[in-house]
Amino acid sequence: MIEKAVEETFAALFALIDLRQIFRETKPTYQFNSEQKRQTKEIIERVRQSMDIIEKELMK
Amino acid sequence: MKYIIEDIEVRAREELFINIHPIQPAGRLTPEAMKAIIAYGDGYSTCDWCRKPFRLDKIQRPPIDEFHAELAKFVGMDQARVVPGARRGFQAVVSSLIEKGDSVIVSSLAHYTEFLAVEDAGGVVKEVPLNEENIVTAENTANKIEKVKKEMGKLPKLIMMDHFDYMFGNEHNIHGIANVAKEYGIPFLANCAYSIGVMPVNGKEMGADFLVGSGHKSFASPAPSGIIAIADEWVEKVFRTTQMVGDVTKRKFGIKEVEMMGCTIMGANLIAMMASFPAVRERVKHWDDEVKKSNYFIDEFLKIQGNEVLSEMPRKHTLTKVDTTRSFDKIAQTHKRRGFFFSDELKERRIVGEFAGATKAWKLNTYGLTWDQIKYLAQTFHEIAKKYRINVV
Repeated sequence: MIEKAVEETFAALFALIDLRQIFRETKPTYQFNSEQKRQTKEIIERVRQSMDIIEKELMK
Repeated sequence: MKYIIEDIEVRAREELFINIHPIQPAGRLTPEAMKAIIAYGDGYSTCDWCRKPFRLDKIQRPPIDEFHAELAKFVGMDQARVVPGARRGFQAVVSSLIEKGDSVIVSSLAHYTEFLAVEDAGGVVKEVPLNEENIVTAENTANKIEKVKKEMGKLPKLIMMDHFDYMFGNEHNIHGIANVAKEYGIPFLANCAYSIGVMPVNGKEMGADFLVGSGHKSFASPAPSGIIAIADEWVEKVFRTTQMVGDVTKRKFGIKEVEMMGCTIMGANLIAMMASFPAVRERVKHWDDEVKKSNYFIDEFLKIQGNEVLSEMPRKHTLTKVDTTRSFDKIAQTHKRRGFFFSDELKERRIVGEFAGATKAWKLNTYGLTWDQIKYLAQTFHEIAKKYRINVV
């Protein structure tokens, strides 16, 4: 379903915006606290998951 | 990827640097606004669900109509519209009230776009002098009105006054000036470009007939975006709808508001404002903490021998004008990079936004920095001073 791939494209972009916000909040030392580390991990996982779905949807 | 296309760099300064630019910090987008821009960047993106009566502030999906109503409530006025920047808000009011030869009272620190709005309408500005602390007082405003009345044989048609000015970030006696305006029966516009969106503002409590705010300056929104909010009694005049009829076609566009030129910011900018709105509503409750951080930094800044603050003290805003003529400028006199040595030192420590090369009087804004970032900023100034053997007491 192309809808699913498009949806996941936005989900990945939005997750990366959240990462961008973490950069903004931690600049210029980028010393992440435990919550920011947790959020970053979650964002990376979210993006990977979206990429997997997109690949599955479009390359099948 | 460093470029979007050839010659257009990716702008990552908010991710890579602490930015103390005087006018940028409170317009920095929320993540929600950034997402809105991704999703609504296409031209007429807000028009997908535009139905009768075909006007931006009436659109229900996304809920633009509701946003307008909430925005008016948020600033304590009866009706609000979004406009492409505060300047278009000044223009809408001035164009509705001022005729050729009329005078408008403004502050001696008025933004240039207030001048342009008056000039465009054929009026003349009359500036209220500042007191010794660079504040506009009610007394000086009343004196100016009397002077204008004597000179021109008629009262000014409008008073436009800044809540906080762009030059010093000083707070002006807006309530007192509103009272003076009432006493003389002159409509009063409060320019809240530096206050709506960062601190609580209530137009009715302020005594304003018109409020103008800036989206890109203080509402975590992209440029151009702004707000005009007005009291009910002025709606028919300022938000008047077109009466024009085509002589050949007999066409009429009755619902369109003349001063708004129909629809205003009909795309990503509006949706970004809407997306930032919940965060903005929340952040104004924490203005006291922003002022605390501003004062913390300024106190540390003043520990550097020779540094001075030109804005009112203690600080009531995060925008501050400082003078480093007797500290960093002394170094600039003999440094091979002249005033740019200071920018180089700051940039090396990931701080940008000062006026590059300026080491005399310049402005900075600490809005939105975390306490860690504020402390880092203060330490960095000390570090640079010590490097050049300027005393830090």
